[in-house]
Amino acid sequence: MDYPIWELAMGGGMLMAIVAIPHVIVSHFAIGGGLLIVVTETLAVKRDDPELRELARRSSLVLILVSTVFGAISGVGIWVVAGLISPAAISALIHTYVWGWAIEWVFFILEIVAALVYYTTWDKISKGAHLLVGWLYFIGAYFSLVVINGIITFMLTPGRWLETNAFWDGFFNPTYWPSLLLRTGIVILMATAFMVFPALRTGAERKAAVLRYLGWWFVGGALLSYAGYRWWEATLPSTVRNLFSGADPALATLASTRSLTLWSLTAALVLGVVILIVAPRLARSTTAVVMAIAAFAFFGGYERLREGARKPFLVHSHIFSNGLLVNDIGAINEEGVLVRSGWAAKGANDSLSVGRNIFRTQCSSCHTLDGYQSIRRALPTYSDVLDVAGGEGVGVFEAECGACHSDVSETEMREMLPTPAEIVEDPGMIHDLNRGMIYMAVSQLYEMGEAYGATPSGEMINTAELYSSYMPPFVGTDEELEALVEYLAFVARGDAVELAANGGGR
Amino acid sequence: MNPNLIPAVDPAGLPGPLWLFHVLLVFTFFLHLVFMNLTLGGTLLAVFAHLKSGGRRDDFRGVLAGRLMAINNYGISLTITTGVAPLLFIQLIYQQYFYTATILLAPVWLAMLVLLTAGYYAAYLYKFRGAPARGSGGGLWLSVSAVMFLLIAMIHVAVNLVHAQPEIWGSLADGNWSVFSDPTYWPRLLHFVFAGLGFAALVTAWWAVRRVLEGVDTEVNTAIAGWVWRWALWTTVLQVADGFLLLMLLPRPVLRGIMSGGVATLGPLTLAILVGIGLLMMLARVSSPVEKPGLVTGTLGAMTLTIAVMSITRHQVRALYLEPSAAQFNFQVVPQWGNFVLFALLLVAGLATVGFMVWRVLTSPASGTDAA
Repeated sequence: MDYPIWELAMGGGMLMAIVAIPHVIVSHFAIGGGLLIVVTETLAVKRDDPELRELARRSSLVLILVSTVFGAISGVGIWVVAGLISPAAISALIHTYVWGWAIEWVFFILEIVAALVYYTTWDKISKGAHLLVGWLYFIGAYFSLVVINGIITFMLTPGRWLETNAFWDGFFNPTYWPSLLLRTGIVILMATAFMVFPALRTGAERKAAVLRYLGWWFVGGALLSYAGYRWWEATLPSTVRNLFSGADPALATLASTRSLTLWSLTAALVLGVVILIVAPRLARSTTAVVMAIAAFAFFGGYERLREGARKPFLVHSHIFSNGLLVNDIGAINEEGVLVRSGWAAKGANDSLSVGRNIFRTQCSSCHTLDGYQSIRRALPTYSDVLDVAGGEGVGVFEAECGACHSDVSETEMREMLPTPAEIVEDPGMIHDLNRGMIYMAVSQLYEMGEAYGATPSGEMINTAELYSSYMPPFVGTDEELEALVEYLAFVARGDAVELAANGGGR
Repeated sequence: MNPNLIPAVDPAGLPGPLWLFHVLLVFTFFLHLVFMNLTLGGTLLAVFAHLKSGGRRDDFRGVLAGRLMAINNYGISLTITTGVAPLLFIQLIYQQYFYTATILLAPVWLAMLVLLTAGYYAAYLYKFRGAPARGSGGGLWLSVSAVMFLLIAMIHVAVNLVHAQPEIWGSLADGNWSVFSDPTYWPRLLHFVFAGLGFAALVTAWWAVRRVLEGVDTEVNTAIAGWVWRWALWTTVLQVADGFLLLMLLPRPVLRGIMSGGVATLGPLTLAILVGIGLLMMLARVSSPVEKPGLVTGTLGAMTLTIAVMSITRHQVRALYLEPSAAQFNFQVVPQWGNFVLFALLLVAGLATVGFMVWRVLTSPASGTDAA
C-alpha cells in the first residue's frame, strides 16, 4: 500500500490478463510440446518412420519460436506487470518463495538451451544425441512446472503455511498434487491440439495413422485433466469449494464458469475421439480449430475458476490483491493509511484529494474510474435515483439497487425516497442520498475488515459469509473513510475528470 | 501524514542473509551482462557490418552480419533467461526502490516487453528473410532489431538511475524532473553500448581466428577478424574515455564514497581500470589477429574479466547512491538454508547437464541417414 499507483485506463487486472493468459497457454504448450515431440521422434527412430520424424521436426520450429521467444518474454512480463500493479503483493510472494523461483530458473536455463540446440541440430548430429537433447528439454520444462505449481497452488490453498510459515508446508499444500496431475493433463491436451495442425500436412497414406496416434494422446490428456480436476475440487477447503459448487453455490458466476469448464472438456474429448480416432477423414483445419477452442475453453475456465475462488486474496487468508496484509488491518485502522504511506499522503491537501488517494491506494488494483471494473458505473447515479423516485425506468431498481436492498421492494423504496417534485426543489438532495448509500457500502467494507481481523490466525477465511466475497476490506481511520465517501460521491456526480485534471483540488 | 516516499521493506524478512543475495545479484547480473553485450553490441555491429557490405552476402561484412545474428538467436534467448535471476534478486533486496522506479516509469517499463518481442522476432525475420544469397538488401529487420535493443538499454539505464535516487521521486511524479536531465544518463548508456560493441567484436574475432586455424574459409575469416578487431580497439578507446567521464560526473557524495571506501571500492575500480588499459594495449599491439590467436583469446578473457569487475563496481555505486536512505531499513532475516543448498546443488547439476549436452552435441556430428 505504500507504493505509488500507476493509473491505467484499462485497469491492472485487464493488463495482467493480456500478458498472463497467452503466457499460460504458451508455457503449457511448451511443456507438453516437449514431451510429444521427443516421444514422437523416439518412436520415429525406433520404427524408422519418416512421417513421424517430419511431424516432430515441423512442430519443433513452432516450439522454438513460441516457447523460447514469446514464452520467455511473457513470463518476465508477468513479473513486470505484477510489480507495476501489485508491488507489495508480488514482493510478499517473492520473499516467501525466492528459492523456489531460483530453482525454477535453473530448470528454465536447461529448458531454453536444450530447445535452441534441439531445433538447430536437426540433420547435423546423431539421432541418439538429438534424442538426448529432446529429453533434456522435456525434463527442464516439466520440472519448471513441478516448481511453479507449488507457488501457484500455495496462493489459493496455503494450508499449514498459514500457521507455520514454513516453505515446504506452503509448497506441498493441499492442492499441489491434484493440480500437478491436472496440469500434466492440460500440457498434453494443449500440445496435441496444436500438433494436429502440422499433422494435417502428412501425406495421404499415413495421415489417418498419424492423426490416430495424436488422438490417443489427446484422449489421455483429457482423461488426466478430468481426474486431476475432480481431485483438485475434492481437496479444496469446503469454504472455497462452496463458492462455486454444491446445491447452492455462493457465487453464481463462478458456478457458471465451473459448468463451462467441465462441458468444454467433455466437448473437447468427444471431438478428439471423433475427428482423430474414429473418423480421421473429418479432421480439417476447421474441426481442429473447434477442438482446440474447446480444449482452451476448458483450460481457461479452470484458470478463471482458480483465480476467482482466490479473490480477493493474492495469498488466501494472508494478503489481499491490493497488497494489504490481513494482519495489518487493525494497525492501519488505528494509524490511518496516510500515516503509513508517503505516496498516499503526497498531494493529499483536502478531503477530496485524501479520498482520491485512498481510492488509488486501496481500490485501483481492481477498479478504474471509467474503464475496466469502472467505479463510476458501480456507484449509484443521479438518474438511477430519479428513475426509482419517479417510478420510471423499468427494471432500474432490480438492476441497480437490488444487490444492496434485497430486503425492500421497489414500492417501499419509492416511499422512502423524496418525490421528484421535492428533488426539483432541492437538487442537492440527490447528492446527499447518493453519499448516504456510498457511506453505507464503504462502512460495510470497513466492518468486513473487522471480521477478517477476528478470524483466528492460521485458518482459511470463509469469504462467502462476508458482505462482499470478492472485495478486500476498507481500512483506515474514520476521517479517511469519510474522505473516500466524499470522493466517490464526487465521482458519481461526474466531476472526477476535472478533479483528476487539477490534481485533486476542487 | 507520512512525508517519506520510500516504501517499507517487506515484513516477511529475507530467506537468507543479505550478503548472500548481494553476491547472487552481482553474479547473475554478470552472467546477464555477458549475453546482453552480445545481444545489444552484436546487433548494432551487425547493422554496421550489413551497411558496410551494401547488404551483400558475398562481402565478408555481410557474412559477419549473418554470423552475429546467428549467434544472437541463442544470445537473445540467453539474455532473457539469465536476466530472470537478477530481476528476482533485485526485487528481494531493493524492492522498495525498484518497484517505485518502475511504477514511476510504468509506460516505458511496460513498453520494454513490446520492444523486446519486436526486437527478437525481427532478429528471427532477418535470419529467415534477411540478406539474400545473391544481390543486396534485407537490412530492415536487422535495423528494427537493433533499434529495439537500443531503446531497451535506454529504459534500463533510466530505471537504474531513478531507483537509485529516491530524492528525485517526488519531482519525477510531479513531472518536474526527467532522466535526460541527469548528467550521467548518456555516459551510462554509452558505457553499455561501447562494452557491447567491444565484446561482440572480440567474440566474433575469436571465432573467426578459430575458423582460420581450422582452415575454414580462411580469406573471409581473416578479413572478418581484422575488421572486428579494429571495432574492438576503437570502442575500447571510447569506453575508457567514457568511463572516466562517467566517474567524474557521478554525484560528489558517491564519488567521495568510492574514493574513501578503501580496498572494498577502490580495489575493483582500480582493477577494472588497469584491466581496461591493459586491454587497450593488447588490442593496439595486434594488427593481424589471425597471427596471434593466443593474444586474441587472452584479450577476450581480459574483456570478460573487466565486465565481471565492473559488475561489482556498478553494484557498489548503487549502494553509495542509496546510502543516505538505506540506513533506515533493517532487514529481518529468516534463513532457509536447506532451500539455498538445494538451489546451489541444482544450479551446479543444471550447468553440468547443459555442459554435458553441449559436449555430446559437439562430439556427435552426423549427416545423411545417420543424422537426426
